[in-house]
Amino acid sequence: MNAKTRKNPDFHKMLFVTKFEELGFDALQSLLVLRGAGLNHVVLMNVIERDRVAMHRGLGYDKTEARKLREIANIRFIDWAESLFEKGMEVGEYIVVGNMVSQVLHAAEEENADFIVIGQRSKKMMEYFYSGDDIIELLRRTDRPVLIYKHLESNGCECLPDNPFARTLLAVDWSPASLSAVEYLKTLKHVAQEISVIHVAAPGELKGASNMAIQGLRKEKRGRMEQICDIFEAEGISARCHLYVGESIKEIERAAREFNATMIVLGSSGTSAWTERWLGSTPRAIVEKSGYPVLVIPKT
Amino acid sequence: MSKKVLVVDDDPDVRLFTQTVLEENGYTPVLAKNGEEGEAAVRKDKPDLIVLDVLMPKESGIRLYRNMKTDKKFKNIPIVMLSGIAEKSFLRSQKVLTEFGGDPVPDPEAYLEKPVDGEVLADTIKKILG
Repeated sequence: MNAKTRKNPDFHKMLFVTKFEELGFDALQSLLVLRGAGLNHVVLMNVIERDRVAMHRGLGYDKTEARKLREIANIRFIDWAESLFEKGMEVGEYIVVGNMVSQVLHAAEEENADFIVIGQRSKKMMEYFYSGDDIIELLRRTDRPVLIYKHLESNGCECLPDNPFARTLLAVDWSPASLSAVEYLKTLKHVAQEISVIHVAAPGELKGASNMAIQGLRKEKRGRMEQICDIFEAEGISARCHLYVGESIKEIERAAREFNATMIVLGSSGTSAWTERWLGSTPRAIVEKSGYPVLVIPKT
Repeated sequence: MSKKVLVVDDDPDVRLFTQTVLEENGYTPVLAKNGEEGEAAVRKDKPDLIVLDVLMPKESGIRLYRNMKTDKKFKNIPIVMLSGIAEKSFLRSQKVLTEFGGDPVPDPEAYLEKPVDGEVLADTIKKILG
């Protein structure tokens, strides 16, 4: 089922992809706050990448080793599943050998998952987990929202927020994808405490402009952001808007820090050259470099 | 005519093992690899008993069990749960789902934790089917 035929934005079914080291049961538990937004089905997935079990060139992979890794993953998932079942959740599992991106896309399609969660720890640890390239490829190829979940660095330690959606920072550019992000976030009224809506204006937009013109630009951008805040407020979610000027990646990260955000939400995939620019650089850089969990939402 | 037993399990090794046990004991196995396929097989093949795993893709055994036991057409089909999930967790989940507003369901006819001995499985099925 593709984006054109998918049902309304929601968070009912989560595909939780883990290698265990980067996303453990604590991460899964913290995402159960989404029950307040209708989450009722968790599909656990572990992909054993072929190179972990590969034999010499041309000889395929070591099936005994693969079987051992499968059983180890299965033991973990059974433990997690028992706990989830006892909370009344529906649970499924996939433990497969193959290419991470292809397998995740296949499982998401099979399950008709509403969104995908994948882990990424600190940059220094990244080589042990899913590579940044895999995550970017996944983002490019999927038509589903992807949450790149990370531990937040706080006071020298890495921790997970109790509610990763509590203080969400939504970066908007009014592309179809960022408007789709608004639709998704609307469903979080029992989960999100506050949404900070931000837009980063490029310095070039101000170049050579008079003070009046700059004030006019500010007024226009704020007005458009206020409209988005009104949508959230109408759903009962507290929302404030903020305009930044500068390099988008730095400013989004700065805003996340200033508002003590628990997550950054960005739109993805668009067709216009402007949106492509946003997509090609900003979400990619935010996903790769940000210290915050990032939810990337495609246009619907 | 031999009795039909539906085996619902995503693990091909378990399906093969159970199929062999069933055939050796004179039953006709019908195989399904997840809850969704299992539910379709129940409607199509009308089995005399179901051997059901819990943790599976697409639709878990918890959901299929519930759907069967709350459907007046199928609620009398005996179900043997065969799973790595502890019986205690299975029973708690059903209790919670009932508390969430679902219909109450009876306990399964038998609950076997994996791995199971072939004789134990065969004896359990024989006791139920007579």
